Amino acid sequence: MTLRGSLRWLVLCGLWLGLAQPLHAEVLVSAASSLSEVLTVIAARFEAASGERVQLNFGASNTLARQIMAGARVDVFISADQTQMDRISADIAPGTRIDLLTNQLAIAVRRGTSDVKTPRDLLLPSVRRLAIGDPAAVPAGVYARQYLEKLGLWADLQPKIVPAGSVRLALAAVESGAAEAAIVYATDVAAAAQTSTAFVVPAADGPRIVYPGTVVKSTRNAAGARSFLAFLQTAEARSLFTTAGFGVIAPATR
Amino acid sequence: MALFDLEIDFTQGHFSLAVSVQTQARVLALYGPSGSGKTTTLELIAGIRTPARGRIVVDGQYYFDGNAAASMPVRERRIGYVPQDVLLFPHMDVRRNVEYGWRGDATRAAMLAGLLELEPLMARQVQSLSGGERQRVALARALNASPQLLLLDEPLAAVDLARRARIIEALTRVRDELAIPIVYVAHAKEEVRALADVTIVMDGGRVVAAGPSASVLP
Amino acid sequence: MSPEIREIALFTSLAALVATVVMLIPGVGLAWLLARRPFPGRSIVETLVSLPLVMPPVATGLVLLWLLGRRGPVGRVLERIGIEIVFTPTAVVIAMAVMGLPLLVRTARVGFEQNTHRFEAIAETLGAGPWRVFTSVTLPLASRHIAAGALLGFSRALGEFGATIVLAGSIPGRTRTIAVGIYSFTETGRDADALALLGVSVALAFVAVLASNRIAGTAS
Repeated sequence: MTLRGSLRWLVLCGLWLGLAQPLHAEVLVSAASSLSEVLTVIAARFEAASGERVQLNFGASNTLARQIMAGARVDVFISADQTQMDRISADIAPGTRIDLLTNQLAIAVRRGTSDVKTPRDLLLPSVRRLAIGDPAAVPAGVYARQYLEKLGLWADLQPKIVPAGSVRLALAAVESGAAEAAIVYATDVAAAAQTSTAFVVPAADGPRIVYPGTVVKSTRNAAGARSFLAFLQTAEARSLFTTAGFGVIAPATR
Repeated sequence: MALFDLEIDFTQGHFSLAVSVQTQARVLALYGPSGSGKTTTLELIAGIRTPARGRIVVDGQYYFDGNAAASMPVRERRIGYVPQDVLLFPHMDVRRNVEYGWRGDATRAAMLAGLLELEPLMARQVQSLSGGERQRVALARALNASPQLLLLDEPLAAVDLARRARIIEALTRVRDELAIPIVYVAHAKEEVRALADVTIVMDGGRVVAAGPSASVLP
Repeated sequence: MSPEIREIALFTSLAALVATVVMLIPGVGLAWLLARRPFPGRSIVETLVSLPLVMPPVATGLVLLWLLGRRGPVGRVLERIGIEIVFTPTAVVIAMAVMGLPLLVRTARVGFEQNTHRFEAIAETLGAGPWRVFTSVTLPLASRHIAAGALLGFSRALGEFGATIVLAGSIPGRTRTIAVGIYSFTETGRDADALALLGVSVALAFVAVLASNRIAGTAS
């Protein structure tokens, strides 16, 4: 290798080492992807208010839980359901687990083209396919199935059901016309341009959908992690969550 | 004059080779039809193949000794080998080929450059060389490594008739001026007569006749 | 192009480049070993190397996560010397390198399987030792295949998704690559940004394929 070539590699490696510096005094938050928009805004407010730096890592709650179980150095974990939070119970910093938010199910349809007004309308022949999250894996799908079973519609609707890998994919099926309707979270419908909400499942009728959060035991920035979790319960954060369509739960550490 | 003491047993698949020759020669020719084992014999001397039994000794230098189960590593043999397809390194230009095995003998390098008329070729890519040019470059590459023995496999095969005389002249000068013993594979009588003092006639892996070229190849 | 998109594109290209450099030495070594040195357990090594090619990338990511996580057999040792992998740019490089390696090995191996033994023998008659024979003859004669393999590995690294998101997560400004970014952006309704990244990825793929065609062209 020529001297110039070696130099080039040296520069490259140097650049890389610079990039790969470990995180210092930052709060790394692993959160369910349905929270990405609102949490990005809230994290910025938190940074301004506290001087801490926040890194956000969004993904499917079950993947995030698995990463924590493998020992990923996460400071705060916010799950889209209790099951995934229960899986990491050994990694929860004692006394920090808290139920933060609620969400509701909603029926999404293509904007302006549907005669679906109530859940029973899903039986109409004009609804040929109904997209939901995969009820075997995706929390939103589990909730959708529970709800349809409670209404006694599951058996009749089952031939129409298209299981999707995520809530967003269920919505994409409606956007593209592959499905006439989807059952997703109320907060997701707003994010998709081509769809509108036909029906929001009243909190009393639907399954209880709760987003719990916690400080992870292995954190190196316990103070920062705790103050971030606390910030999510301030009036400022609550109003942002509400605007995004989430319900907020009164602080109740368990 | 070099003393050749070859006692070789070699088998590969259905082909078996048995050579037994003790002779003195400056240039030893291996003569015979294709498939008679000439090239295999060269490769055995070079060390690219290993005999099952026997010995390969040239001027007292043991290259292979079946009794002691000793085979000198190829790179220590100091044998210059120019195969029929010359095998110039395709990813190097002529100069890098010629200098590949150079042992620092500047006088020899200069002499070879003149003898083989290499200067105009030095910057060329080997793909652009003619058959005769390749042969000259391969010869220079082998000789630059200061070999104690030179093996040539049909050096004239890829050279057109008009240029053969020049190669023969160059080989004669290598023989006379560098005084390196040569083993030479050929199947044209005139060529053998012009260069080799002793000829071994081979057929089917066996030595059919051996002796002074003039008497073996009338 | 927004600064965020540009940063993701730059980071991904750099990470893929580093991953290619990282996989080059073990990749060429393995290719040579598999092509030239029959050894006991060769088929097992061969299978292991090719595994990421046939396994779902997410599964490869899970295996890496299990190995390199702080509680994993390798991660535990690394933690003791102060190195953490999961959720770092290094994790991105490792995921990319592991996924790209089989392509490099399989392509480079063909280069070493060419019949160059006689060239090597000639080099030996000229006094070259094993290392010189390898570096001056074997390696250059396989260089075109190695280059093509490296480019394939690089392209694979550029598009790597499944293993990356499991091992490195999707942290903006830190581990978010083009592929992970496209996924995250579509997941969160940022379709315009996803589209911009898609454009970048098409452009990069175009350049990579063009380069590999040029290498293939000079080979014939």
